[in-house]
Amino acid sequence: MDALRIDATRRTPLVDFDFPAGVLRLAGESYPDDSASFFGPVLTALREWLAASDVPVRLDVELVYFNSSSAKALMNMFQALETAAAGGRPVRVIWRCDEDDDAMREFAEDFSEDLDHVEFTVAERLDAAGSGRDDAA
Amino acid sequence: MLAQRYAAFKQDLDAKGIIFSFSGYVSEGILYSLGEALREKMTLEEADGPTVRRVFSVFVEQMQNIIRYSAEKITAGDGRSIELSAGMVTIGMEDKTFFIVCANTLRSDDVPVLKERLDFLQGLDKDAIKAYYREQLREAPDEGSRGATIGLIEIARRASAPIEYDFAPLDDGKSFFCLKVRI
Repeated sequence: MDALRIDATRRTPLVDFDFPAGVLRLAGESYPDDSASFFGPVLTALREWLAASDVPVRLDVELVYFNSSSAKALMNMFQALETAAAGGRPVRVIWRCDEDDDAMREFAEDFSEDLDHVEFTVAERLDAAGSGRDDAA
Repeated sequence: MLAQRYAAFKQDLDAKGIIFSFSGYVSEGILYSLGEALREKMTLEEADGPTVRRVFSVFVEQMQNIIRYSAEKITAGDGRSIELSAGMVTIGMEDKTFFIVCANTLRSDDVPVLKERLDFLQGLDKDAIKAYYREQLREAPDEGSRGATIGLIEIARRASAPIEYDFAPLDDGKSFFCLKVRI
C-alpha cells in the first residue's frame, strides 16, 4: 500500500503515513469544521493497511491542539491500532507534547487508559513548528 | 453624538473587562481569524501557555457549537457550501480570571435536551467530568448531535468554576441560549 500524505492546513494536521515503512505521523493543529470528512479517509486507509500488512507500526503524534471531534477521530485510530496490537503486531505510539502542556499530557492518559497492547509513550515535542520531516519513501 | 455614543459603548465594554466581543454571522474562517487574534492578544499580555490553550479550546468548541446549532442561519443559494450562523462571543477578564460567553438562537424544541446535558455537567466535579469525558470518547456520537456532547464536556473540563447557562424564550418557537465559562 502506498504512503498517504496530506499537507497541513491552518486547521488540519499534517498526515504523513509511510505505510511501507510502518512509520506514521500526525502533526500540527486539528479543528476542521467537519472532522468526519477529514479523518474518515485517513481512518479507512489506516484500517485497510492494518488488515493487509503485518509490518510493525510506529505512530508519532505531535499535535499542538485538537478539538473535541478530532479527539474522537484519534480515539478511533488508537482503537484500530489496539486491535492490531492485540493480534500480536508490534505497535508503538509516541505522543509528543510540550513539557508544560498539562492538557496534552492529560489527553495522553485519556487515550492510553485502555490500550493494553499498544506501547504508548509520552515524550517532549521535537520541533516547535510541527512541520513535516523529509519524505521517507 | 456618534462618537459619544460609541465611546459610551466602548467604556461599558471596558468596564466589564471585555477583551473582545463579536456579534453577527460566524463561519469557520471567522472562527480561525478571531482565534488567532485571541491567541496573539493573550500571548502579548503574557498569559501563561496552559491558560492560553484552555481559553482557546473553550473558544473553538463554543464557536463550533454556534456554527452547528444556531437556528439563525443563511446558506448560499447557488449551491456553494457557505453557511453562516448567527451568534455572539465575548471574552473578558473578571476577578483576574478569563471568561468566555457564547450565545445563539436555537429552536425551543432543542432546549430540553441541551438543558439536561448542561445540568448533568454542572453537577459533576473535576474527577467525574474527566471520567465522563473518557467514557464519551469511546462512544459513538449521538444521532443528529454532530458531536456536541463531547464538545460540552471539553468545555466543562477546561472551566475553573461550574459552567453557567440560561435560556430566554423568543418568538417563532425559538429561544436565546447563553453559556458562560470561567477559565
